[in-house]
Amino acid sequence: MRMASWLARRVGAAAFLLWVVATVIFIAIRMIPGDPAEAIMGGPGSQASAEALETAREQYHLNEPILVQYVLYLGQLITGDLGTSYAQQRPVAQIMAEMLPATLQLTLISLAIAWLIAFLMAAIAARSSRLGQAMGTVIEVVAAAVPHFWLGAMLIIIFSTWLGWLPAVDTGTVQGIILPALTLAIPLAGFLAQLMRDSLVTAMSSPFALAARARGASEGQVFFRHGFRHAALPALNLTGWAVATSISGAVVVEEVFARPGLGRSLLGAVLSRDMPMVTGIALFSALIYMVVMLLVEAVEAIINPAAARGHDV
Amino acid sequence: MPKLSSHLKILATAVIGGLALAGCGNTDSADGEATGEPQSGGTLTYASGDAEPDCLDPHYGGNYPQGLIATQYLETLFTKDEDGETIPWLADTSEVSDDGLTHTISVTDGITFHDGTPLTSEAIKANIEHLQDPETASSTGFLAVEKVEEIEIVDELTADLHLSAPDNALEESLSMHWTAIQSPEALDRDVQENCADPVGTGPFMVDSWEREQQINLVRNDDYVLPVESDRENAQAYLEGITWRMIPEAATRYAALQSGEVDVIDNAQPDTIQSAEDANIGHLDAPRPGASNRLELNSSQAPFDDAAVREAFMRSVDVDGGIEALYFDTAPRSHSLLSSVEPLGYSDDSLFSQDVEQANELLDEAGWTERDDDDVRMKDGERLEIVMPVSTNQSVPAEQSLFEQFQAQASEVGFDMQINLLDLSSWYAELSEHNYDLVSAPYTKVGPSVLRILYHSDSIEPAPSGYFANNAQVDIPELDETLVQAEETTDEDERAELYEQAQQTVLEGYYVLPLYDQQNHFLYSAEVQNMGETSAIAAPEYYNVWLDQ
Repeated sequence: MRMASWLARRVGAAAFLLWVVATVIFIAIRMIPGDPAEAIMGGPGSQASAEALETAREQYHLNEPILVQYVLYLGQLITGDLGTSYAQQRPVAQIMAEMLPATLQLTLISLAIAWLIAFLMAAIAARSSRLGQAMGTVIEVVAAAVPHFWLGAMLIIIFSTWLGWLPAVDTGTVQGIILPALTLAIPLAGFLAQLMRDSLVTAMSSPFALAARARGASEGQVFFRHGFRHAALPALNLTGWAVATSISGAVVVEEVFARPGLGRSLLGAVLSRDMPMVTGIALFSALIYMVVMLLVEAVEAIINPAAARGHDV
Repeated sequence: MPKLSSHLKILATAVIGGLALAGCGNTDSADGEATGEPQSGGTLTYASGDAEPDCLDPHYGGNYPQGLIATQYLETLFTKDEDGETIPWLADTSEVSDDGLTHTISVTDGITFHDGTPLTSEAIKANIEHLQDPETASSTGFLAVEKVEEIEIVDELTADLHLSAPDNALEESLSMHWTAIQSPEALDRDVQENCADPVGTGPFMVDSWEREQQINLVRNDDYVLPVESDRENAQAYLEGITWRMIPEAATRYAALQSGEVDVIDNAQPDTIQSAEDANIGHLDAPRPGASNRLELNSSQAPFDDAAVREAFMRSVDVDGGIEALYFDTAPRSHSLLSSVEPLGYSDDSLFSQDVEQANELLDEAGWTERDDDDVRMKDGERLEIVMPVSTNQSVPAEQSLFEQFQAQASEVGFDMQINLLDLSSWYAELSEHNYDLVSAPYTKVGPSVLRILYHSDSIEPAPSGYFANNAQVDIPELDETLVQAEETTDEDERAELYEQAQQTVLEGYYVLPLYDQQNHFLYSAEVQNMGETSAIAAPEYYNVWLDQ
C-alpha cells in the first residue's frame, strides 16, 4: 500500500510539473517575435497574401484571445493531441513517432558506451599511482568539457577522412552509428568517470573493503562486490541528468552526422518557428526526463530502502 | 549522341559552366567533359546543405532548395538557351497579342505525366490556378503569375492567358521551377499528399521520401524529350538519385572525399580551393536575378543622404576582401544583376575604394565632430549604422567580409554594428526597419527582378511584413521606367529601359554590388557530364552518367 501511495504522489507531482512546463512553453512561444501565421504559410520571408494569412489564423485559432488559446492548447494536450506541424502540415505526434526510434537508439547506445568508458576509466584510475590518477583526472576533465560539435568534426576527420574506417554520415548501418554515439558518449563518460572514481577510491579504502580483504577476499572480489556497487550509486543517480544531456546533445550530433531524429527536428522547428513541433518535442523531452527520474528513484528504493525513506546509509 | 545535340540549352549551359571553371583555374579531370562512351546505370548520391524542403512541390512556398530538387522530376513551359534567351520547353508555341494582354501558349503533343495523365492545355490552367489558390501558400510562383487574370482553354493543346497588364517577363517567369507544370489530377490530391509525391513529366520521378534521411528519385523510363528531333530513347543514364540532407559543410565534404556521396552543393570557398588538389570537379553556377549586394536603407538617417552612402562605399575595400576570403571563387560584380542575365549593366568606376574622398564627403555632409571613440557626429547624433546579417544566407566567408567592412568603415568614422541572426529574426528586423544596410539575395529569372527590388511599390510591405525594396529606392521616374520596361513588346526598347533603370540605381549609391549569388557544386571523378543547369541554375542530371 505504501508503494502505491508513493507512486501516486510521484505521478501527481510529475503531472503538475508537465503542466508547468507546458505553460512555460506556451508563454515563451508567444513572446518570440514573428507572426505564427507567417510561419504556417511558407516560413520566414513568406510573401503570403492577406487572404492566405487570414485563413491560417482562423484554422489555428490565432485570432482568439490569449486565454482562450491557452485553454484550447491545454485541452488538446490532455487528449494527447500535439497539433499539426506548421511546416510539414502533418500531425506532430506522427512526425515524432517517426523520429523517436533513431534518437532513442542513439541515446541508449551512447549511454551504454559512456557507462562502459567511465567504468574502465574509473577502475584504472582508482588502481593506479598518484601520477596515473592525476593523468586520469585531466583526461576526464577534458573529455567532459569538449563540445559535441568539435568532437564530432574531429572524429570524422580522423576515422572517416584520414583512416577511411567509418562513414562520415549515418546511413542506418551498424558502422554508421559508431561515430555519432562516441561523440555523445565521450563527454558524458568524462562526467561519470569523475563521479565514479571518487566514490571508488573512497570505497576501496573504506572499513568494509578492509574487512573484506581481511576475510581473504581477492582484490577483484573487493572491487566488484563492494567498490563498484558503491561507486555506481551516485552515477546512477545522475542517469536522469545523463538522459537529458544526451537528448540535448542529440541536437548537435544529429546535425553533424546528418542523422534523422528528434534533435534535428527540434532545431529545424526552432529555426522555422514551427511552434507545434517545438512544443511537442519540448514537452516530450520533459516527460522522458520525469519518467527516467521516477525509474531511477524506484530502482534506488529497491536497492536501498533506507535511502529512499530519507535516512543516510 | 543525338540526345546531346537535341538538348541544345543543356549543352549551352555546359559551355558556360566550362568557361566559369576555366576562370577559376579549376583544371582537373572532372570538368564536365565526358571521358568516354556514356554508361547507363547506377544511382547518384547527392548531398544538399540546405534545410530539407517541407514540401517537394515547389508551388508550395517556393524556395531554392525546392527548385534544386524539383528540377529533376518537374519540367517548365519555357527554359533558357545558351545566350540566356527564353525558349519553349514543355510549351510548343507562344504568341503575344499586340496589346500585350493575351499570351497564347500551346503545349507539346505526346507528353504524359508520371501518373499517365496526358499533357494538355488543361495543365496550364490547373497549374496557374494552383499557384494562385491561397490554400497552396505559394509565394515565389504566386508573384510570377500575379498578372494572369484568367486562363481560357482554346483547344486540347492551347490556352489563352489573359493578363491585367502587359508582362514581357511572363515566359521568363514560367521558366522557373517554382511554376513547373504538374499533373492536374495529382494537384487535386490534398496538400500533404502532393507535397510528398509531386507528379511531373521530368526524366526522374519521386519514389519515396524518408524524412530527414533521404529522398529517393528513380528514372522515368517513359520520359519523352519535349524537343522534337529526338523524342524516343530519351531516358536518363542514371537509374536514380538519392537526395540526402547533410547540413554540416565539413561533414558534407568529408562524405564526398570518402566516396559516400557523389555530388555536394553549397560548397564553401576554402573547400573549393582544397578540392582543386583532390580529384574533385567543381561546377560554378551563379544564380539568375539579382547579384549579391549590400543595400543601403535610404529611407532614414544617415543613409538618406546620397553623399553618406557614397562615403560608406568609398571607405571599404571590396576587391581586397573578396580576394582574401573567397580565393578566386567569386569574381567581383559591379552590377545589380547576376552575370548570367544578358541585360545586366555594370559600372566599375562607381565603387573603387577612396578613403580620402570618403572623409571629404562626410565632412561636406556635416559629419564633422567626433566622439571619444572617434565616431563621427552631427547635431549630437552618432554616425551609427546597423546591419542585421542572416547566418542562413551569409556564409562564414561573407560574414568575415562584412567584418572587414566594419573595420574599414570605422577608419572614416562610421560605427557599424553587425547583428548575426537566424532567418526568422532577420526578417523581423527588416520588417521593423531596424537596419541601415543589408544583404538580401533575390533569385528570379530575367531583369524584371529590378521592378521587384527597386520599384517604390515594393516598399509597401506584404501582409507578412516582407518587402523587397530594402534600399527603399523611391524615385517616380524610375518606377515609370521599370513599368515601361516590363510592358513594352519591343526587345531593344526593353534593353534600353532596363539599362537606364540600372544606371539610376547604381549612380544613386543605393546598392554596393559584391558578387554573383554563389552556387557551387563539387563532384567526384566518377561523375561525368556534369554542368547542365536549369533556368534557375539548378544542376540537371538528365545527361549525367557514372564512370563505374
